[in-house]
Amino acid sequence: MLTGLDTITWYLMIAAAVTVFGMVRLLLVRDLLARLIALDVTGIGVLLTLVALAARSQAPDAVLQALVITGLVIAVAFTGLGAVLIRRIEGARDDDDAAVPDRAPDEQTPGADSEQDHGLSPHDQGGDPQ
Amino acid sequence: MIPVWSALAEFSLGAVVLAPLLAAAVSMLVPLPARRVLGAAVGLLVAGLVVPLVVSVSAGEVPELVLGGFEAPVGIHLRADGLGAVFLAVTALVGLVLTGYAAVLPAAEGRCAGPKGWQQGHPGFWPLWLGCWSGLNAVVVSGDLFNLYVGLELVGLTAVALVALGGRGSWEAALRYLFVAVLGSLLFLAGVGLLVSVTGTLDIAQTREALAEVADPEAPLLALVLMTLGLGMKAALLPMHRWLVPAHSSAPSGVSPILSGLVIKAALVVLLRAWLWAVPLSGGAQSHAAVQWLAWLLGALGAAAVLGGSVLALRQTRLKPLVAYSTVAQIGYWFLAFPLLVSAEHDDALAAGAYGAVIALAAGHAIAKAGLFAAAGLLKDRYGTDEIAALRGAGAHHPALILAMGLCAVGLIGLPVSLGFTGKWQLATAAIGAGQWWLIVVLAAGTLLAAGYLLRGIAPLLLQSEDEPAAAKPVSVRERLGESAVMLLGLATIGTGLLGAWLGDLLGVGAWW
Repeated sequence: MLTGLDTITWYLMIAAAVTVFGMVRLLLVRDLLARLIALDVTGIGVLLTLVALAARSQAPDAVLQALVITGLVIAVAFTGLGAVLIRRIEGARDDDDAAVPDRAPDEQTPGADSEQDHGLSPHDQGGDPQ
Repeated sequence: MIPVWSALAEFSLGAVVLAPLLAAAVSMLVPLPARRVLGAAVGLLVAGLVVPLVVSVSAGEVPELVLGGFEAPVGIHLRADGLGAVFLAVTALVGLVLTGYAAVLPAAEGRCAGPKGWQQGHPGFWPLWLGCWSGLNAVVVSGDLFNLYVGLELVGLTAVALVALGGRGSWEAALRYLFVAVLGSLLFLAGVGLLVSVTGTLDIAQTREALAEVADPEAPLLALVLMTLGLGMKAALLPMHRWLVPAHSSAPSGVSPILSGLVIKAALVVLLRAWLWAVPLSGGAQSHAAVQWLAWLLGALGAAAVLGGSVLALRQTRLKPLVAYSTVAQIGYWFLAFPLLVSAEHDDALAAGAYGAVIALAAGHAIAKAGLFAAAGLLKDRYGTDEIAALRGAGAHHPALILAMGLCAVGLIGLPVSLGFTGKWQLATAAIGAGQWWLIVVLAAGTLLAAGYLLRGIAPLLLQSEDEPAAAKPVSVRERLGESAVMLLGLATIGTGLLGAWLGDLLGVGAWW
């Protein structure tokens, strides 16, 4: 069945599928960590596309490989930044749950409060020496 | 041109990118007060470095620098044409004023969890802002697609971290911004990779030459679609705008003006580079029809953004979200011009008019919106709220600030004399030239709505308040200095309105036609 496809086409198809799966998951899932991982998967799909495109010629395309390496470095950077932010958000939620036990846990789900920031809630300003 | 100036311009080209980056690294090593001094010094240095570049470009030269002597396609190629010079100058002006604003007002830098609870002033502001500035300059002077990508990522990641300085209320907005910004750059990277796989080069000029000879238009077209989608996310074009409002309104008061004024423009510059410089739109007849279709889609989304963003701004009860929705609306104007940029007749004069309009609107917006956001942030920090109802009567304590906000509003509404007016005038002229009357209707409606929401935001500050506002405490010297920064931006909004003709000449240098 697959004899009609060469290796590069195969890889391009896999890359496209990985990218699309990552993006769909990114847009649909609520859990923050799952979204971050979905973003990583999307990044891997894009980089896989570039690697497959680079491998088409006899000598692999150095320019595309340089793009992939830079993309990997940036993926590490954004994953780190995202992980720190998620840890802080979840940490703040745990503090809230400890301080205000009757607060419903889904009160702070992302997206539910999309049209407003909540930097001004009285709880946030509690420790602010203004 | 005197050779000394040319050499200086070439030196400045590298220095405007590397000096803030180096300063960002150095600022990590010193304590907070020294960071403020360093930030202000670097701001002055960068503004000084931009002067020879602008002088050189306005004399008709295009300064170029090949870093390390490696020629394209491998080396790093910096180039300052008219587009680069305009945005370098605007970034330097707004950046310098905002640096001063953040240096005198600790609250503008964000909030930091200290031993005694949340404290004003965040030492992380300075390395991040200087890194962001370096990225902004890198984006506008970059001569190749690879550095556009790297610069865009540097701007995006530092901007996300800057939002997160606003304390716990801003973290979720920052994370959401991170997801959108990174997904946008990944799509852009995929587009760049596709272009490279066809042309074998990253240099923008070489890409254009190589694509002119490519018979099959599908790959470049797909690349253009991917890049446009990614950059549309980063520029918050209407259906992809929902991340912008929480991010821009929960950011610290020194950061919101940077985000709304400058960071959004980086995506616009890259989009213009991709559409007008890298991909020749006159490829094949079939490709051209598809590009036109895409341009019309962008134009329609732009019109929806102008109207929808303005209506949503009218409905806000708080000052910072109102200003943020105003940004969503103003972004729409830049995309309105896309159908005129790639009109079927290849009318270069028409395209030049539309292009001049986009740049004038974007440059005017950068200055005016930075001023308005800085003013809104100052009021929010002082009174602890940005509810418009609670700020009623606050103008009595800040007459100069309200005047400055009014000057910025002139630019955002598009009244003469301001770049906003110049841009709308040029866009209307180009629309009439192309026979696109619907554009005039959108422009007029957008202008009226902008007047409405800005009046709704600013007028209550001037009203007599029934009970004396809580802020009976006197306005400190630092706050007065912060107000004067806003005043500088307000005056610049009006002052740059006189430069419309010069701007048009400048944009002609190194343009794609």
